[in-house]
Amino acid sequence: MILAVIAAGAVAGCLGSLLGIGGGVFLVPFLNAGLGLQFKTAAAVSLMTVIATSSAVSAHTAGRQLNLRLGMLLEIASTAGGLMAGILFWYISDSVLTVLFAIVTAGIAVLMLTRLEKRNVLEANADIGRLGGRFFEEESGREVAYRVRRLPVGMLASLLAGAISGTLGLGGGILKVPILNAWCGVPLRAAAATSALMIGVTAVSSVPIQYAHGYIDPPLAAAAVLGVLAGSRAGFWFGGRARAKWLKLLMAVILAAVSVFYFRRSL
Amino acid sequence: MSESSIANLEIHLGRLLNAGVFASATLLAAGLFLWEATPWHRSGGALLTTGLVILMATPILRVLVSVVEYWRMRDWFFVATTLVVLAVLFTTVATALAVRAAA
Repeated sequence: MILAVIAAGAVAGCLGSLLGIGGGVFLVPFLNAGLGLQFKTAAAVSLMTVIATSSAVSAHTAGRQLNLRLGMLLEIASTAGGLMAGILFWYISDSVLTVLFAIVTAGIAVLMLTRLEKRNVLEANADIGRLGGRFFEEESGREVAYRVRRLPVGMLASLLAGAISGTLGLGGGILKVPILNAWCGVPLRAAAATSALMIGVTAVSSVPIQYAHGYIDPPLAAAAVLGVLAGSRAGFWFGGRARAKWLKLLMAVILAAVSVFYFRRSL
Repeated sequence: MSESSIANLEIHLGRLLNAGVFASATLLAAGLFLWEATPWHRSGGALLTTGLVILMATPILRVLVSVVEYWRMRDWFFVATTLVVLAVLFTTVATALAVRAAA
């Protein structure tokens, strides 16, 4: 069992970092449908791994694409959503969570296929306002700047992402990143790095409550965390080599299948 | 507040996160090994719990350090922002402790 959880974590972490999302969306069905853990146990264990990936990734992007000020501001909304989810978690039935998970995975599959990238960059000497940022863009080989627009949209997305994160055991980045990129003027890399930082604090706003309720089995959580940490390292290593396009398509198909599975199970 | 001091803060926080993950992963690995190798012994469980608590404490510590750093930069808007985040996290921890005490 422990070895299976480590392996599941490693695969989820690897896929997650290849696609630039947390591995939760793969880990939860692995643990729940694959290994037969209760849905809430799977979600809570997955949230533990979200904290680990968040800290590991952010240590790497700090001082570069990461926008700490924007992240801190959005964290107000995402932790509020997480806290609500943490409190409600105990009262929501497994079957409601299952339906919710089916809906969210279907949404992610669609997002993955339709995700358009907006560049959103200004000249390096442009006025970036209080929340904007500058970073070195590897593709163009120069420093770029951006301004943050429509902050309330970003706050709302973060609140929703926090609530989803705390109830389903996902990081929630898959929701925030496209919105920050499409509507709030943030370049994709900066949005992804900032979201990666936020998901750790967001998970911490609900995980201690789930831990106190006994949803987290320490050896299983440890196995999942170690697996995900190893897997996401491997993902970074592959990331430079593999072309992401076909991978995204494959993952969208898998997610659609997961979604159908959960829909049918909830009927 | 200059941009270089913000970048410095981020790098400090990055190191803190790295250290937290490293410490917790080490404890979890050791704990898991003991748990499997010597199931009758309690030290494995204690290591696992400590590792998980450190993992959860790391992001909270990151927010705490940011409050102090923004205070030193006299950036009151972000002192307020980080304090609100910290308040939410303390509510979480307080709720968790209350749940535990009731159980």
